[in-house]
Amino acid sequence: MNMALPFQCLKAYRRSVKGKEETLLIGASGSRLVVVESSSGQGSTWPAEEEASKETEAPAEDEERPGKRIKLTPTNTNDSNSNKSNFSCLALSNDQQYIVAITGEDKCVRVFHIDSDYRIHQLSQRPMARRPCAITLTSDDSTILCADKFGDVYALPLLMSPDDGVQDQEVPPTTSTAEQPETPVEFKPSASVLTVHSGRNRKVLEEQIRQASLGQRKSKEPLKFKHELLLGHVSMLTDIVYANVNGRGYIVTSDRDEHVRVSRAPPQAHIIEGFCHGHEEFVNRLCLVSSGRLVSGGGDAQLFVWDWLNYRLLTTIDVRDAVLRFLKSQAELSSIVPANEEGFKVAVTGIWNVPRSDAQRDEILVTCEGVPAIFHFGFDEAGKKHEQAIPLNGNAIDVTVIQQSPDSCVAVASVDYVHKPGSLKDPREQKQDDQAIPTFTSGPDGQWQADSTLDTAAGFLTKQLSTAVGAAGLAGEVDLKAIQGLLYGTANLRKQPGTDPDQVA
Amino acid sequence: MAGEPAKRQKREEYKKSLNADESNAALPKKKFYRQRAHANPFSDHSLAYPKSPSDMDWASHYPAYAVKQPQEKDEAESHDSEKAIAITQPVEIADIGCGFGGLLFALAPRFPTSLILGMEIRTSVTEYVQEKVRALRAQNSATSGFQNAACIRANTMKFLPNFFAKGQLAKIFLCFPDPHFKQRKHKARIVSYTLNSEYAYVLKPGGIVYTITDVEDLHKWMVEHLEKHPSFERVREEEQEKDECVEIMRTETEEGKKVERNKGMKYVALFRRLEDPAWP
Ligand SMILES: C[S@@+](CC[C@H](N)C(=O)[O-])C[C@H]1O[C@@H](n2cnc3c(N)ncnc32)[C@H](O)[C@@H]1O
Repeated sequence: MNMALPFQCLKAYRRSVKGKEETLLIGASGSRLVVVESSSGQGSTWPAEEEASKETEAPAEDEERPGKRIKLTPTNTNDSNSNKSNFSCLALSNDQQYIVAITGEDKCVRVFHIDSDYRIHQLSQRPMARRPCAITLTSDDSTILCADKFGDVYALPLLMSPDDGVQDQEVPPTTSTAEQPETPVEFKPSASVLTVHSGRNRKVLEEQIRQASLGQRKSKEPLKFKHELLLGHVSMLTDIVYANVNGRGYIVTSDRDEHVRVSRAPPQAHIIEGFCHGHEEFVNRLCLVSSGRLVSGGGDAQLFVWDWLNYRLLTTIDVRDAVLRFLKSQAELSSIVPANEEGFKVAVTGIWNVPRSDAQRDEILVTCEGVPAIFHFGFDEAGKKHEQAIPLNGNAIDVTVIQQSPDSCVAVASVDYVHKPGSLKDPREQKQDDQAIPTFTSGPDGQWQADSTLDTAAGFLTKQLSTAVGAAGLAGEVDLKAIQGLLYGTANLRKQPGTDPDQVA
Repeated sequence: MAGEPAKRQKREEYKKSLNADESNAALPKKKFYRQRAHANPFSDHSLAYPKSPSDMDWASHYPAYAVKQPQEKDEAESHDSEKAIAITQPVEIADIGCGFGGLLFALAPRFPTSLILGMEIRTSVTEYVQEKVRALRAQNSATSGFQNAACIRANTMKFLPNFFAKGQLAKIFLCFPDPHFKQRKHKARIVSYTLNSEYAYVLKPGGIVYTITDVEDLHKWMVEHLEKHPSFERVREEEQEKDECVEIMRTETEEGKKVERNKGMKYVALFRRLEDPAWP
């Protein structure tokens, strides 16, 4: 098998450079970023290729005790950084000048800029104490809000000031005595689990990573860049949204324990305004839609539509039923549907707003884990008005939506062409990466159909997949388990009955 | 609340046996309810908790305050029956991590017009307190004593806002919390900067958080994290010592008694919930 990683994150946006409007498409595949301009097909990858191959050739001679300091203080002009950690999240600044990304294994928040020649520059790389799960920016783009697995939300300045990142940076009072953050900056595994394939090396790497985490845990060094603890849940955070309503800033956070929490924005982020109560399973995604309503979804059969400023549930959307209808309508997928349909569960992995001029009617696109389709729902306060399942050639991984004109939108999807449609673990017989990035468009009638306007860009991205990955030495047998781990895992957020240690007699 | 069948059955039998020998007012024996000391506040206990405060079946815990006296059918779990779950006044005092309930039972007669709730994560410790509530209510049926006290099993670090609405509580007690000495476990502490926001959320302005511990480091930790939180200010010592709850907390908690026997120190600190400032 010669398979590259599908894009686990995708972002399309329009920007204007020197008076020229253009559409950029950015994809993250494993530890790489790829950008392309849609009309010219010009683009680049990050990290730059020569650098990447140099890195992999270097022997893994990192025998230092992980606890020991390796000089690697993050700076704000570090353009030639290599990267072995996989991207898990991309966010775009409101002014479209910056891409903020999370890489998982090294727990880093990274800020990128794409110049007018479509080169990707990394401006900063900040390793957090805990693995970030979701990021967003305040509406003025001054601050990154970073939500982590441990339940905390930190504020980081988008751009680091020159004196930030120096050794003796004073840590704000809210973090100095709170749980002392680890310093993952000290340690970088010599490879990632995606680049090591022999069983023995894999073990060595795992041990190295384990040792490092032990070493880090003992370390009491605070993070060396400006960061402020804003709020926290005693639960794993899954998503974060910043909203500005009538001049008031809000942070909405969701967690694995069914909560949707509304807090004030900094400098009053310690004030909880309220909760949108109603979910009975984990919440995984939040989405502010055009009307200002909030849509939340995760392990429940329904999406919830909120008048979130009043903590009032307006309506629900039966996403599970939509998925069931779709699967049953497809001959080759109907076998996935269990005999007992009641037991069928979905895990919502994405909700995207479809921008429209009509503010009363909202439209969203929704994906669920392991389901080869995008679901479109149009609704208003009273409930669902429109539903369409857009079939894909593989499981939906990520989607990005851009508004082409007041009445037409384009959606670009990233598709899992490694696994069989509908499966999270069975590989396909042969690769089909020509279908990695399908594009759809929707006109004023709200119907979505396949579209070719971004084919050049999609083609470029797809090609980069194989070349970039080849350069990084990943062209051989790819560890399916690692890919699975990278692309999936949402359903694991569901609580399993009978896991109460307290109940064991 | 759904519980493990065997345990529930045991409990039912225990109840029956108490009823059978006409001594239904007998206090439960602690030794039947002992449990290992620590429960992990992060793990997925199969806890029962309401989706929201208004979904909580308060009437079953404070039957004397039920909005409509419901004709209790014993299988309380029957789905969505027209069972009244609301009570005539909200719970106002919460004893978080109440243990065997010493404070709860001392507060109940001192605040006869307030509803007081003990919250405890350990199953059988909770059951003990619930049995004791039942027994004390039976013993005091003539005066309706202890109708204002109840106990539920809950992980308060995760689900406090599922039980209480914004600004509902007047007092929160955090008595002798588990210290969680290890650095790594500090987020497991019942007081932290971020968790204090939830205490502030359920407390009304002017409401008080009461803390007491015999561990000096934990005392310092709680003081530091509550003082640093903009929603709280420390209550001055003079005022603190005038608060009748402080003496109760020192002498009536199980832990307080233990510390007394060992002639240990007890560190007390009270914090007042401030009004939220105007939006910036
Ligand atoms: C040392 S005992 C103190 C008991 C009582 N307050 C006293 O002063 O005697 C601490 C109690 O807090 C409970 N606890 C710990 N974490 C909790 C949580 N997250 N939610 C509810 N109770 C908790 C423990 O089970 C334990 O019973």
